[in-house]
Amino acid sequence: MSDEYAVRTRDLWKIYPQEPRPVEAVRGVDLMVAMGEFVAMAGPSGSGKTTVLNLLGGLTRPTRGEVWIEGLEISSLTDRALAEVRMNRIGFVFQSYNLLPVLTAMENAEFTLLLQGVPAPERRRRVRELFSEIGLEGMEDRLPPKLSGGQQQRVAVARAVLGEPALVLADEPTANLDSATAEALLDVMEKLNRDKGTTFVFSTHDPRVMERAGRLIRLVDGRIENSAVGTG
Amino acid sequence: MKTRYPTLVRLALRNLGRELRRSALTAAAMALGLALLIVSRTLSDGAHEDWIEAGVRLGEGHLVFNAAGYRDSESLEDHLSPDQVAASVAAAGLSELPGGEVNSVRIAARGLASSADGAMPAWILGVDPDVELIFSELGADVLEGRYLQQGDRLHAFIGQGMATRLGLRIGSRMVLTAQVAEGGIEGQLVRVVGLFRTGADELDDALVHIPLATAQSWLGVDGATSVATLLPHSAFTRQVVEQATAALARAGVDVTGWEESTPDLYSAVKMDDAGDWVFHFILFAIVALAILNAVFMSVLHRKREFGLLRALGLSARDTGLIVFIEGVLLTAASGVIGVSLGFALVWVFFRNGLDLSEMMPPDLTFGGIVFDPVLYPVIEVKHLTQSLFFTAVIGLSASVYPAWQAAALDPAESVKVE
Repeated sequence: MSDEYAVRTRDLWKIYPQEPRPVEAVRGVDLMVAMGEFVAMAGPSGSGKTTVLNLLGGLTRPTRGEVWIEGLEISSLTDRALAEVRMNRIGFVFQSYNLLPVLTAMENAEFTLLLQGVPAPERRRRVRELFSEIGLEGMEDRLPPKLSGGQQQRVAVARAVLGEPALVLADEPTANLDSATAEALLDVMEKLNRDKGTTFVFSTHDPRVMERAGRLIRLVDGRIENSAVGTG
Repeated sequence: MKTRYPTLVRLALRNLGRELRRSALTAAAMALGLALLIVSRTLSDGAHEDWIEAGVRLGEGHLVFNAAGYRDSESLEDHLSPDQVAASVAAAGLSELPGGEVNSVRIAARGLASSADGAMPAWILGVDPDVELIFSELGADVLEGRYLQQGDRLHAFIGQGMATRLGLRIGSRMVLTAQVAEGGIEGQLVRVVGLFRTGADELDDALVHIPLATAQSWLGVDGATSVATLLPHSAFTRQVVEQATAALARAGVDVTGWEESTPDLYSAVKMDDAGDWVFHFILFAIVALAILNAVFMSVLHRKREFGLLRALGLSARDTGLIVFIEGVLLTAASGVIGVSLGFALVWVFFRNGLDLSEMMPPDLTFGGIVFDPVLYPVIEVKHLTQSLFFTAVIGLSASVYPAWQAAALDPAESVKVE
């Protein structure tokens, strides 16, 4: 089933069974993100931002409710099918330690393409092209420890978008970066959103991200408090 | 989906390379374990083959042909006719083994050896001297005088113990007394031509070799009581016994392998074998724990990476497979190193043997067998294959649990680990 939304949820709940009381990390979230949106989810610590991202990305299964990625309901898929969805339709950027330390920048960036079965020359061409667009030219053969924090995050962003996913989920991608590096990373993501139409959903505390977001969703205690058009 | 396997192998290889010291130590533990297993197994097989060889040479061979009923009665009445002897010799050769077999046609009788100084029980064996020189190698243990030879008639080759007790020397005369085939008791005067000393009292005090023709005419046996067959290796025994038994099904001849004819020896080999397996099991349990620990620690240290891989599109099975491939590669590398090291050590022992004489009392015997204190390895393909299989199973088994752990990680939790 095709869908005009990159991601859509209905009455999404995540409850962790815990003593003495179960923890309701996400409570009835209804969310719709259109293709090509640049959305930020903000909220205090413990508001459920990361859990929502994990639910959207199929990294964790909802206690109840549904998640559609490009119209495909993913919460009832098998582990293998879910892995296929993550590989083909979702890109991830985490806060830190995003790269596989045994692979070079080029190998990290092309990893999703490799899993998708894209031939090596095509993979290399696409990585080189994107690296030159986002200022990573010449870094192809470096292992992650030889890259700065900002460079590592840009490689992670490259990996996330190269597989041409329906959406990229970024969990506080600027949290460990200094201002200039964070701005540069946001520039890259904004450019990819604008030029390639890649959908981004962030969880963030960072006002710079919120400022650039096309839409800002505020989460409090696992619920969406409000969703407003951003200033970005 | 198949395109993933090279990627998983590449990741596994890089991970092993990243933790080079840990990988090398783990591989070294496995390789050393396998090398020790090969050395210990081949030396053990060598020792067992030595015991069997010594036992069958001084006993009844790897297999023995007797007239039906002889093994129960031990009566000369139940002897092999000349035709049965010929059929037995032919049956022993059916397998056409490389190196061939040696057949010793014998007449055995329990009796009494006496001299002017006294009398004692004797185990009298009528033999063909030329064949027996090759078969029992008693000729190599000559202490004084010589072994029997063609043309000897009323001559005897006896043990040092008997000679001492009966006050016999080279040239002395003695009387052998035994029940003959017809049932009566008859004596035979013989002259001592040589003394032997094996170190086993059971033989040195009782065994007497006399020419086969002398035994035949004295004891009234036209054929023989047994045909003892020596094979190039004990491993051929079952095959030859089965073929000979089938060939002699209607000939009134029983064929018995050494395991049955020398049960004490067989038990000793089996007991020692069981002890070896216990030792090997303990050795490999330790090695397995070392591997398990190394691989498991490596999984725990890489929780976040596994979470990341799951986020990038690998399934739980794929991430588990990476860890399992690491175990396979480690096992394969350890196997190659272990086999090379093991064979290098075996080669050293092939040349020089492993001398345990400092740790063993001289003339250590068991059931009439004198143990050689110098061990030489023997490579038995079956046991070597078992050792390799054992190592592979241990190596791979020790990878299964960490692989399962990696597969069972919750990706959402794993990506949080710092």
